[in-house]
Amino acid sequence: MIEWSEQHQMIRDVVRRFIEAEVVPNVEALEHGDMPPYDILRKFYSAFGMAEMQRARFAKMIEREKKGEPAKKKSDAEGEGGGDAAAMQLIPIIELCRHCPGMVTAMGVSVGLTAASILSKGTTRQKERWALDILTLDKIGAWAITEPGSGSDAFGGMKATAKRTPDGGYLLNGNKTFITNGPYADTIVFICKLEEDGVAPRDRKMLHFVLDKGMPGLVQSKPMRKMGLHSSPTGELFLSDVKAGPDRLLGEQEPTAADGRSGAKSTFQTERSGVAAMALGMIERSLELSLAYAKERVQFGKPIGEFQLIQEKLARMEVARMNVQNLVFRTLELASQGKSMSFAEASAMKLYAARAADEVCQDAVQIFGGNGYMAEYKVEQLARDARVLRIYAGTDEIQIGAIARDLLTR
Amino acid sequence: MKIMVCIKQVPHQDARLDVNGAGTWIQEENIKFEINPYDQNALEAALQLKDKEAGTEVVVVSIGPERVTQSLRTALGMGADRAVHVKDGAADGSDSLGTAKILAAVAKAESPDLIFAGFMSDDGNLAATGPMLATLLGIPHTTTAVSFQKNGAIQVERELEGGALEVVELNTPCLVTTQTGMNQVRYASLKGIMAAKKKPIDVKTVADLGLAGQVGADAAKIKIEKLYTPPKGQGAEILSGSVDEVVGKLVGKIKELGLL
Repeated sequence: MIEWSEQHQMIRDVVRRFIEAEVVPNVEALEHGDMPPYDILRKFYSAFGMAEMQRARFAKMIEREKKGEPAKKKSDAEGEGGGDAAAMQLIPIIELCRHCPGMVTAMGVSVGLTAASILSKGTTRQKERWALDILTLDKIGAWAITEPGSGSDAFGGMKATAKRTPDGGYLLNGNKTFITNGPYADTIVFICKLEEDGVAPRDRKMLHFVLDKGMPGLVQSKPMRKMGLHSSPTGELFLSDVKAGPDRLLGEQEPTAADGRSGAKSTFQTERSGVAAMALGMIERSLELSLAYAKERVQFGKPIGEFQLIQEKLARMEVARMNVQNLVFRTLELASQGKSMSFAEASAMKLYAARAADEVCQDAVQIFGGNGYMAEYKVEQLARDARVLRIYAGTDEIQIGAIARDLLTR
Repeated sequence: MKIMVCIKQVPHQDARLDVNGAGTWIQEENIKFEINPYDQNALEAALQLKDKEAGTEVVVVSIGPERVTQSLRTALGMGADRAVHVKDGAADGSDSLGTAKILAAVAKAESPDLIFAGFMSDDGNLAATGPMLATLLGIPHTTTAVSFQKNGAIQVERELEGGALEVVELNTPCLVTTQTGMNQVRYASLKGIMAAKKKPIDVKTVADLGLAGQVGADAAKIKIEKLYTPPKGQGAEILSGSVDEVVGKLVGKIKELGLL
């Protein structure tokens, strides 16, 4: 794939039209007010038939499971049409990120992380009970792994616990933080360790539980204040002696070994290609705004675009745009061939795209000067929003580690 | 039932419009196009009927160069079943009657039960094609519909001057032209856009329709002699002073010019 196809451009145009009509007039309320992003996201889903698409896909999957047919292998499910499916996912991400990257995070965590983890680990019964409503955005999901004392070392440092109770259920305790959708989530996937006598904390089994809003002992905090992504509500979760039956344990049986990490890793991989698409949207928009400003802003008697130091920034922005767009094209091309990136390659893409977006959005503020520091000119928001790309979904440092480990073990 | 929707591709509402070198039309290079907004409401009305009545087929028809394919694909993405594209340089420069003749030839081949068209186009603003098409076909028509119902016969509320509405009842086959705002136009669904590439677009020439020599610039009875940006007016006078003074001066001016 070397360029967007006619269909891709049609999707882009129609999504852009929706965003300009529904999102742009509300950016102020989403970013600086109390408007949660979910109603607009639901409208987005219904306008483009996405909820319907999810429902149809889900029904097919459940039917297959009930007949006892094996789940389709990724290469079969993708293949022809796989590229289309990936494009339908990535183009809206790119477009939303031009104005409101936080909305992508809220949607991505609900559908891409929470529902996906129930689909990959849950039993058929559990999928029917929780996953479908999240896939259609009827309910909002949160995926709770990070804790105050464990971020990048999510598994090793995790303190949240599950303790077996005599009735066959579990007692859950622990605090989670930086949880996207935490304040509003209807359904929460809570990741913790099974407390067992004689097993060292680092070797304990990882368990995933599905919790519903309002369960006794579960407290969801108000949204936390943060640097950017204000349209994505982030919160804390506090669990004290939350009783969960075995029906809430994903898979409905404990894993045999100290496992649970491998599943999370494949989740991380999907997340990383989403970050490249987010970066592309932010870069495209920053470049567009900067270019218009460089032509129109006059200093020392000429448009600032005629000064070489401004030209250098614009040229670097364009290089970043081309590179990140090519990475997105590669993701789509791989999907259309039923392939996906290796873990290290996905890490490299995420690292590059996040750094490029951060640099481009900061440079945009610099081109705008004092105006750029003011919220009115929009580049300020993108600069704050882009910063998180280097932190969440694996920090730059974690990505570098993954790339280097892969290189050194080849 | 079969519904035919006539759509025209016009410059996008946000497109920058400049007069072309010959001073006869706008400069069309490198500008964005879209489906005429009035026609979007026409298409939506047809699709709403299709949603209600199983077995309804919606055929979209347009005339114009290659770029029109994109508008037809958009219409197919929104839910239309098929498209007819009259793509022929010989159709260029047709006036409303020429356009109506081409559409009538397509309609005769399709024999739809109902034809929807926008009440006018955003570029030409002539509001003539729809009624001419109905007349050529010998079917009843009504214009500027703001609401539409089908319970056996077709019931249309149409806009009159001064905010009045008129209710009209028509039997099929008939033609209805639509006013903007009559309905909320849907977005093409993502799945619809992907499916649209597999839906057929039937490309026809003027000769295919048996209209060689009858349409196009040479046959047109209306020609654009000159297109220009209105020259800036001269001699505006700004009245200054307090509100009372300005009102006094203004009344004086009106009397002086004999406007009352």
